[in-house]
Amino acid sequence: MSGYSGSEPLGRTAALEGTTPSARSQAASASQSHRLRSGGLIDRQQPLQFSFDGKVMSGFAGDTLASALVANGVKLVARSFKYHRPRGIITAGSEEPSALVEMRSGARKEPNTRATTQELYDGLVAQSQNRWPSLRRDFMSINQLAAPIFVAGFYYKTFMWPAKFWEKVYEPLIRRAAGLGKSAELPDPDHYDKAWAHCDVLVIGGGAAGLAAALAAGRAGSRVILVEEDSRLGGRLLSDGGEIDGMHAEEWVRRTVDELASLANVRIMVRTALFGVYDGGVYAALERVNDHVPLPGPHQVRQRVWRIVAKRSVVTAGAIERPVVFPGNDRPGVMMASAVRTYVHRFAAMPGRKVALFTNNDDGWRTVEAVQQAGGDIAAVIDPRGKVPAEYQALAELSDLRVFSGGVSDVKGGVDGVRGVVVTDNNGRTQQIDADCLAVSGGWNPNVGLSCFHRGRPVWRDDIAAFVPGDSPKGMTTAGAANGEFSLGACLRDGHTAGAAAAAECGASGNAGEASEAGDEVYAISPLWQVKAKGKAFVDFQHDVTASDVTLAQREGFESVEHLKRYTTLGMATDQGKTSNITGLAIMAEATGRTIPQTGTTIYRPPYAPVAIGALAGHHRDENFHAWRLTPSHHWAAARGAVFVDTGLWKRAQWYPQPGEKDWIESVTREVLAVRNGVGFCDVSTLGKVDVRGADAGTFLDRVYINAFSSLAVGKARYGLMLREDGIVMDDGTTSRIAEDHYFLTTTTAKAGPVMAHLEFCRQVLWPELDVQLSSASDQWAQFSIAGPNTRKLLQELVDPSEDMSNEGFPFMGAREVKLRGGVTARLFRISFSGEIAFEISVPARYGGAMAQNLMIAGRDLGVTPYGTEALGVMRIEKGHVAGPELNGTTTADDLGLGKMMSKKKDFIGRVMAGREALTAPDRQVVVGIKPLDQKRRLRSGAHVVPKGAIPGPETDQGYVTSVCYSPMMEQWIGLGLVERGRERFGEIVRIHDPLRSEDYEAEICNPVFYDPEGARQRG
Amino acid sequence: MVDYLWNTQSPLQKALVPGRHGAAGAHVGVTLNEVRDIVLVQVMARRGKAADAAKAAKKLFGIEAPATPKAVTGKTATLIWSGPDQFTVIAPRTDEASQLAAMVQVFAGSASLSDQSDGRCLIRVSGPRGRDAIAKFSSLDLHDLAFPVGAAANTSVDHTAVNLWREANGADGHPVYNMLVFTSFADSLWHTVVDSSLEYGVEAASARAA
Amino acid sequence: MRIACPFCGERENGEFTYLGDASPKRPNFAVDSGESPEGVEDAFYDYVYLRDNVAGYMREYWYHGGGCRSWLIAERNTVTHEFRSVTAAPGVGAAKPVQAGE
Ligand SMILES: [Zn+2]
Repeated sequence: MSGYSGSEPLGRTAALEGTTPSARSQAASASQSHRLRSGGLIDRQQPLQFSFDGKVMSGFAGDTLASALVANGVKLVARSFKYHRPRGIITAGSEEPSALVEMRSGARKEPNTRATTQELYDGLVAQSQNRWPSLRRDFMSINQLAAPIFVAGFYYKTFMWPAKFWEKVYEPLIRRAAGLGKSAELPDPDHYDKAWAHCDVLVIGGGAAGLAAALAAGRAGSRVILVEEDSRLGGRLLSDGGEIDGMHAEEWVRRTVDELASLANVRIMVRTALFGVYDGGVYAALERVNDHVPLPGPHQVRQRVWRIVAKRSVVTAGAIERPVVFPGNDRPGVMMASAVRTYVHRFAAMPGRKVALFTNNDDGWRTVEAVQQAGGDIAAVIDPRGKVPAEYQALAELSDLRVFSGGVSDVKGGVDGVRGVVVTDNNGRTQQIDADCLAVSGGWNPNVGLSCFHRGRPVWRDDIAAFVPGDSPKGMTTAGAANGEFSLGACLRDGHTAGAAAAAECGASGNAGEASEAGDEVYAISPLWQVKAKGKAFVDFQHDVTASDVTLAQREGFESVEHLKRYTTLGMATDQGKTSNITGLAIMAEATGRTIPQTGTTIYRPPYAPVAIGALAGHHRDENFHAWRLTPSHHWAAARGAVFVDTGLWKRAQWYPQPGEKDWIESVTREVLAVRNGVGFCDVSTLGKVDVRGADAGTFLDRVYINAFSSLAVGKARYGLMLREDGIVMDDGTTSRIAEDHYFLTTTTAKAGPVMAHLEFCRQVLWPELDVQLSSASDQWAQFSIAGPNTRKLLQELVDPSEDMSNEGFPFMGAREVKLRGGVTARLFRISFSGEIAFEISVPARYGGAMAQNLMIAGRDLGVTPYGTEALGVMRIEKGHVAGPELNGTTTADDLGLGKMMSKKKDFIGRVMAGREALTAPDRQVVVGIKPLDQKRRLRSGAHVVPKGAIPGPETDQGYVTSVCYSPMMEQWIGLGLVERGRERFGEIVRIHDPLRSEDYEAEICNPVFYDPEGARQRG
Repeated sequence: MVDYLWNTQSPLQKALVPGRHGAAGAHVGVTLNEVRDIVLVQVMARRGKAADAAKAAKKLFGIEAPATPKAVTGKTATLIWSGPDQFTVIAPRTDEASQLAAMVQVFAGSASLSDQSDGRCLIRVSGPRGRDAIAKFSSLDLHDLAFPVGAAANTSVDHTAVNLWREANGADGHPVYNMLVFTSFADSLWHTVVDSSLEYGVEAASARAA
Repeated sequence: MRIACPFCGERENGEFTYLGDASPKRPNFAVDSGESPEGVEDAFYDYVYLRDNVAGYMREYWYHGGGCRSWLIAERNTVTHEFRSVTAAPGVGAAKPVQAGE
């Protein structure tokens, strides 16, 4: 590392265009005032242009947005959440609480992106957030003057009353003032997806310990997945270097990665951040597939959520350096010591020329050498421990370091960054030191989040003044810095041991090899959480929680860490308190006189890092929001212009509009009249169909249905009703007997799945002694209902002449196979939902489209009309047939007027409980017909029924309207309803009250069978 | 008197657009085929008759019916495990009526049969990236060690039941997976499979079973 | 969560649906031998409604509806979600149980 380029003016990057690559590269270097002349894991042959707040700058491939900003000397990058204080870059990793920017623009705008993890690409556009009109002149910074109202609990205290102010005043006010980035308001044009991955050993984090673990597990022969959120493997080795197995750490990383890549049983996933740990060894990770390029290529995804199933996992997620709380600790230019080293060593970017270092531990001292080697000055080292660590004494003497025993009590500076640091030594003397950067280290917190997602509680270790994982989820171990092992040698050994053990537990028997070796540097620390002095001292940078907020919360009684979190919002931001939680609870511990372990941590929950909802949705958005099912005549219906309705997953033809029809009611009315006066057909393939076979099929159905089926003759169909075991109706449908040991059962469209599961439960759990086999035949058959007085004429056209289609030859409720002209065999059932002569005809699904076409041909002279689900619904309401709105999980067979079907001669599911007092009470709400007195009035379902003259309310409510339609036969709106003692009240005038639609009118309760109550038409 | 034509249709008649889709490039990552004209029968042993049903299968097809999640291929049919004491017979459709009649005869008394020839659609996924595409919609572990040639599974895709099995590797040396999906879901699942494959480049076609 | 179906192997929990406590047994109710529905009402009430709220291992019904369509009986720890065993219901497949309802 050599040479610090000093302060040149920023180049006009536009001038770079049209020059040779090397010229561009030189010009780019020249424009980066804080870029070192050499070194770093950047590609100086690949200069990249980017803009921040409209200002065009340049960086190099390998940069993050943050490192490029550092290289360009940019310190101010954000305004804070509550007080709009100027903020800079604090870390160099995913824990960044402060340098959040808005990436891209338009539909791809993405707020709250951490500049520290965003890889630089050519043409990158980023904006600062939470400021107006500009980052330097932010009017909202007057919030600082109003600071007293933003103290802990301010939401609770300020916006308590009056309640009516919430909607109109408080909420808009809070929403405008308190928010970081703004989301895009356009649909995201990019594609996201989800995928599954499986392995024996999942290694989480690709630093020294993770590489050692993956290598051991991979050499042993287990299936390994190594995930690393960074674009490169190596972790802190990329920033702190060192020596492993006698070679430079970077060389060791290169060789290790090469070996891992050569192993077929090892999969390396970079740019992949693990965010969730779930039961049974399931993990979730977000792969940022194309966030590092301007746009995903054609058909490429932007991000991908991985669900990884692993037998074992090794968490090698490292540790996070923690800040110290002191006044001014949020000034742009105050940075974690490890981040300073990362920018200098990995990115060859200098955060400052005169760096002051404030550390309470030996590790922080590494920064001295890193800055000096890069050509920077160490303005001073402030270490409260009062003594230079033995390892650094020679260096301190050699470079004549200014070392203070004390703490930083203030930081001078503003939007342009740090100008000076005020040191108060251990004797209380204060002096100011010139510096343009303050590197801070309060020690390291092992990353315990992932190991605590199953409510595991971390364990405090005094020697490192930090929590380490306690009870980890089953199958998970932790190694390296995440386990509190901070020396490089220990990380390598720990990782190797954990990886080898995990592989062995998965049955891998190969040779895991030997652990790599490195030195065991000393990590001594004397805890220091806070320097008490006058001024705002921040604990949580992202949510602007100060030390005094924590102590205020304590004084007001919010001592539990969970209360502290809610009251102050400490740790609730997008960074989930990665840099603030432990410090906050340490201050709380001191305030309450408890120890830190006594104070405890808040519960850790996924996601560990923010995940876009779009990534979680993946493929399932827009038309792919959920799967769909198509009926066999779907494409035929679509070609005829049918309007489709979603019925569960099904797309069903709702009606078939004809030219000139002004609205759907007109279309539906035409379809109903065509059926009632002629003939029509409707695809009813969506009904659930179950083949029930076996010697005991009849007995089985007797127990499932309230009525008998063992007595049903072969060749006949019967309407059946089944209850739940609590006596409430579950489902209904027609079931036919195809053969002695074969019934064909139908269910409603909605309940096909649940009924199948129920039948399997009955077969496998309740009555395993019965010989019954069940198979779903729902998709095997294209089934059509053909209805209307001309149905028989139509069928005579279609059916082979040898079939007897007379009323005697094919009586009501008959069911048998028939041959059709042209050689296809169909199942024909004479059942009616419409009240007309009707048949349901089934052919194998491959003939679904042909069947619809042939019905049109066979009925051409009869004016045959295809009808949709609306006309079907109208006709069933006219006939008083119950459907979903009446079979709604609250009604009994008797409520539906079907009580007489309940057999007294047998046990069946629900029989006993259906006899309970409340289910047989005389004042139950039962199905009735309802018609408004005003024949022009449109009835609407959901409206309440109250006695005429009564004031509507809970005491007078007697039921509600369940199903409505415009009835072409009655020439008015009619409906079905559930009304108390309804069957005794035919002819009574009641009040219909509809507060949702502000309607109130009178209607008559009547027989639910509006049309052809004698049922003559369907039997004719 | 008119003649009635009974043209048959595939559930993928609209969804399957033959040819190249998605990422361009010299290599096709995923090859998708609809395998048409199959006879497909679910065979469920009668209570206490599992051994008899297996014997009957052996008699008719000359192979052991799978008792664990596997697919076994004989001269005339492939038998795919589809649940305890049940399996699915798949055969190219030649003379459907006599194919079914032979089964009815041999399994009489030992198993109940359910003709599902129209109830399912068979989609074949192959090519160098086929497994990667499937990983986007299936939670199964399809690694060679976990799911070798002949392995079968009843599983769910998009919350609907799918039978998935692996047949012998293709001529290109890459795995070949078969997915039996419900007819009514086929259009939807085809879109899921294609969308999952687009980034690798797709070649789609339909073919008669052979 | 992963559930090891005794037939299919370990699968993702989305393939399964949960029914609850597997301990209550449906009371027998033999109309032919003169039993009245009223006589068994209490037993049915217990069967339908009364459940122990167990913190720890519990026998539960799970249905592998997204797989082999078997009803399973699992011992699951309601606190940790750990499964101790997963076995088949007595009438799975063509199994012929020794005694009805066991
Ligand atoms: Zn299963």
